[in-house]
Amino acid sequence: MKRRIPLIICFSIGILMIIQFMIPHPISSEFGSTVNKWYIVLAAFALVLAIGNLIRHHSTKIRRKNTNWPYSIVTLASMVAMSIIGFAGGVDPKSLYQTIYLNVLAPLGSTMFALLAYYMASAAYRSFRARSLEATLLLAAAFIVMIGFMPFGQYISPRLPAFAEWIMKVPNMASQRGIMFGVAFGSIATALKIILGIERSWLGGKK
Amino acid sequence: MKWYEAISRIDRRIIYFLLTVFVILPFFVPFKIRQNIMPQTQRLFDFVESIPPDDKVVMISFDYTPQTMPECHPMAIALLKHCFARNIPVLGLSFDPQAPGLAVEAFETVVNELNRKASNYDDSLFYGKDYVYLGWKSGFTAAVLDMGESIAGVFPRDYFGHPVDSLPLMQKTKNYKDVAIAIVLSASAYPEYWVLYPQSRYGVKIGAGLTAVMAPKYYPFLQTGQFSGMMSGMKGAAEYEHLIVEKGYTKKLGRAETGMNSQSIVHLLIITIIILGNIGFFFSRRDRKQS
Repeated sequence: MKRRIPLIICFSIGILMIIQFMIPHPISSEFGSTVNKWYIVLAAFALVLAIGNLIRHHSTKIRRKNTNWPYSIVTLASMVAMSIIGFAGGVDPKSLYQTIYLNVLAPLGSTMFALLAYYMASAAYRSFRARSLEATLLLAAAFIVMIGFMPFGQYISPRLPAFAEWIMKVPNMASQRGIMFGVAFGSIATALKIILGIERSWLGGKK
Repeated sequence: MKWYEAISRIDRRIIYFLLTVFVILPFFVPFKIRQNIMPQTQRLFDFVESIPPDDKVVMISFDYTPQTMPECHPMAIALLKHCFARNIPVLGLSFDPQAPGLAVEAFETVVNELNRKASNYDDSLFYGKDYVYLGWKSGFTAAVLDMGESIAGVFPRDYFGHPVDSLPLMQKTKNYKDVAIAIVLSASAYPEYWVLYPQSRYGVKIGAGLTAVMAPKYYPFLQTGQFSGMMSGMKGAAEYEHLIVEKGYTKKLGRAETGMNSQSIVHLLIITIIILGNIGFFFSRRDRKQS
């Protein structure tokens, strides 16, 4: 029974949601809207779960004094401090919360991402070699797209930007579309397996 | 060490140093290069141009994070300037929990700048009348679908806690029928789901502003017309800035222009070092074959 009831709920809601998506009738829209509102509330619970998980994970790390445990103190302290600041002082453009967000979190996030440029430049220099025909084609395409999309590109040759655009619009698009079809068919198959109860791993536990 | 071995073994610290210099240089030595406008940016600009003033809203979904702020934030600023210059009301919202701070900053920057220039009360921008920011909501797919029925049903209160029904703009913006276009600024798969769910169900027009690394994935959506336009990466943002300057909506170019100059020089550096590495590689291989 513990497994049968969730499977029945999954099957009926899955089928009903497919039907309501295809039928733009007020009754079907009302039903879809109600289920969507339940989904939004349920998704919000995932956030609560994530916070609980984060606290448990880092508390355990601090208690056991695992590697880099002081960073866990920073994580938990930051989370608690930002929550208190947000709840107490609000989130207006001039609030302390917004000031900390823009002057601490935003530069830290941008810095972490910017470091990628250094690794990419160094890695590209070391590993981007024309060792085979495929690698040479990849290298040539990369150069054309990079130069073609740069504002300098039009001065090297007025046809370069158009050629770069062609690479994006024809070979790139063909391959992207192929990948998308593959993903879409895979998603349909997986969704059907879940709705029909063939795929049951989401139920958890043993078979 | 032979010369070709030397050019294929440049110390990484030299590369890092050159990269740093080339990124910083355009900020101190500004220069202007004419942007070659890509068709997808022009399409998005033209679409916003075709929206009648004081009619339907432009919905901007701020779904980028501080990590991708340098690429997506200038897009947001340029779009807001364009909409406000044409008296098109803007409705902002987010589905990425890191995004609201940046969205608030974008609105604050543009509104303050335009209100400073405003000559009278009618020219000024007011929260609730000209723009609204709804904030963040969990359950992305359900939320974007349910907004087709009622936006206030999904966002009963805005980001600042005001009841949405009390805002004048929201009294005339009930669902996607009152939205001219939803423009998704993102560094992830959000725009794809906007096409999959609200567009296929409610026919809402979708535009996108994406990081350069995400843009190639979305070319099929442009070709099919599912996207009404797209800005790709910092280049897209710089192009949009150029378009609004050319049209006379603003006098100064934004941050993407300077960023694009840095990016162009860095791309040239990367191309140069890859070519050097390959020259070294060919000569070394020839040497090995001969010996």
